[in-house]
Amino acid sequence: MNTFPRLLSLASLLLLWLILAAVFPPTIVPGPIAVFKAMGTNLASGQAFYHLYKTLLRVGFGLILTMALGIAVGTVMGLSRKGEVFLDSWVMVGLTLPAIVYSIICLLWFGLNDFAAIVAIGVAAFPAVSISIWQGIKGMDMQLVSMGQAFHLTRSAIIRKIIFPQLLPHILASMRYALGICWKICTTVELIGMSSGVGYQLNYWFGLFSMSQVFAWTLLFLVVMFAIEYLLFKPVERRLTRWRSGVPALQWAQ
Amino acid sequence: MGAIKLTNIAKEHILANGERLRVLESISFDAADRSFTSILGPSGCGKSTILNLIAGLDNHSSGQISIDGNRIGFVFQQPRLLNWRTVSENVLLPLEQKQFDRSTMQALGDKYLGIVGLGEYKNYYPLQLSGGMQQRVAIARALAIDPDILLMDEPFSGLDEITARKLREELIRIWQETGKTILFVTHSISESVFLSQQVLIVSAKPATIFKRVTVDLPYPRQYGDLRLFEIERGLTEAFLGM
Repeated sequence: MNTFPRLLSLASLLLLWLILAAVFPPTIVPGPIAVFKAMGTNLASGQAFYHLYKTLLRVGFGLILTMALGIAVGTVMGLSRKGEVFLDSWVMVGLTLPAIVYSIICLLWFGLNDFAAIVAIGVAAFPAVSISIWQGIKGMDMQLVSMGQAFHLTRSAIIRKIIFPQLLPHILASMRYALGICWKICTTVELIGMSSGVGYQLNYWFGLFSMSQVFAWTLLFLVVMFAIEYLLFKPVERRLTRWRSGVPALQWAQ
Repeated sequence: MGAIKLTNIAKEHILANGERLRVLESISFDAADRSFTSILGPSGCGKSTILNLIAGLDNHSSGQISIDGNRIGFVFQQPRLLNWRTVSENVLLPLEQKQFDRSTMQALGDKYLGIVGLGEYKNYYPLQLSGGMQQRVAIARALAIDPDILLMDEPFSGLDEITARKLREELIRIWQETGKTILFVTHSISESVFLSQQVLIVSAKPATIFKRVTVDLPYPRQYGDLRLFEIERGLTEAFLGM
């Protein structure tokens, strides 16, 4: 049902690119053919896979670190008033600092390696996650918990069957958002301190003023993002929220 | 099995400033096994607290509660269903820790959804059902643990009158079929008279039992029965004079 507008949106993006490429010289806006050719060369040489693998590795572990930190901090803030007051300003500071600051600090502390990249990503992206989890816990329906108690559910059953399912949409939404942030920070770290990864390649081709290569790497990046979104996030989300579907149709069923 | 006896129950809340707020004051009553008792009182008077004490969700400050029975089912004002579970999974929620096998569980789910007339909706999700149907699922869930006592906290007050009437008639049928002891909290005079054998009128802050009225009419009762109306009028006078 939504396929047509989505295709239309992608097609118009491509059209815009074609127009811009026709108007500007290839050193400023290279056309799709040049870009796909550059991308083809990168993929054929195996180069692209190596750098993509390095970036994905950093983003993946960074995301795990971010989610772990974010859920832990968000849970403490949601459950304890003292914790909220204590961590509130930390999260605000975390949100306000530009990602480049984390990147520079981590590279100086830990050296020019993957570990530094992962820490920088994990620390920079977690405040957004903890805010989402914090709000999720605050907005939780406590009446459902007291229902569980009235039916003598064990503590662990209440957590597993009543609390966790209510937090799941928040975890999922924040994970999506965090993934976007992680990508951006990862390219920054790679740009300033790594000798591999998509960010490093962007910087390298920037140095050589090769616009078609810059476009090719950006496009590759986008393709991977779309793949993760449509092959992983969307299906998982659809499965987890199917209970919300088809609501209006049956309201009048009685 | 199923008798309830409260003797001189008092309940105090300790407020943030250290002050004591008396919520319940010497509440005493008896509800016989298989009886239907209503607790009638104005909103916010502490009626629900009485149910919470009986269910063990809250502790009383003094007095004695004796309950003859092991299991207590609870129906709340809102259905309090888990929207991410199907109707049948909601009904079976309290039974999941009992290690029944799959087919037993299925049969139990079908049985209790059948009692509330929702057998064909077992694979629906709560948000696909109307408010009245959701409350029926909540009743089926409370019945599923095969309770001796059923506590109901204004279960129909959120529904429109037509739906509420239908559900009241069904509740009486279920009560007669299953023989549960029902304690029903309401702020509706006509509802209490229509449903119960005994009505306890509770006054506000601190709540205490102001009057006890027996409704000695056979079931099933009919809406519009003049005898019900007569009793309702008497109760209204008592209620207003309190």
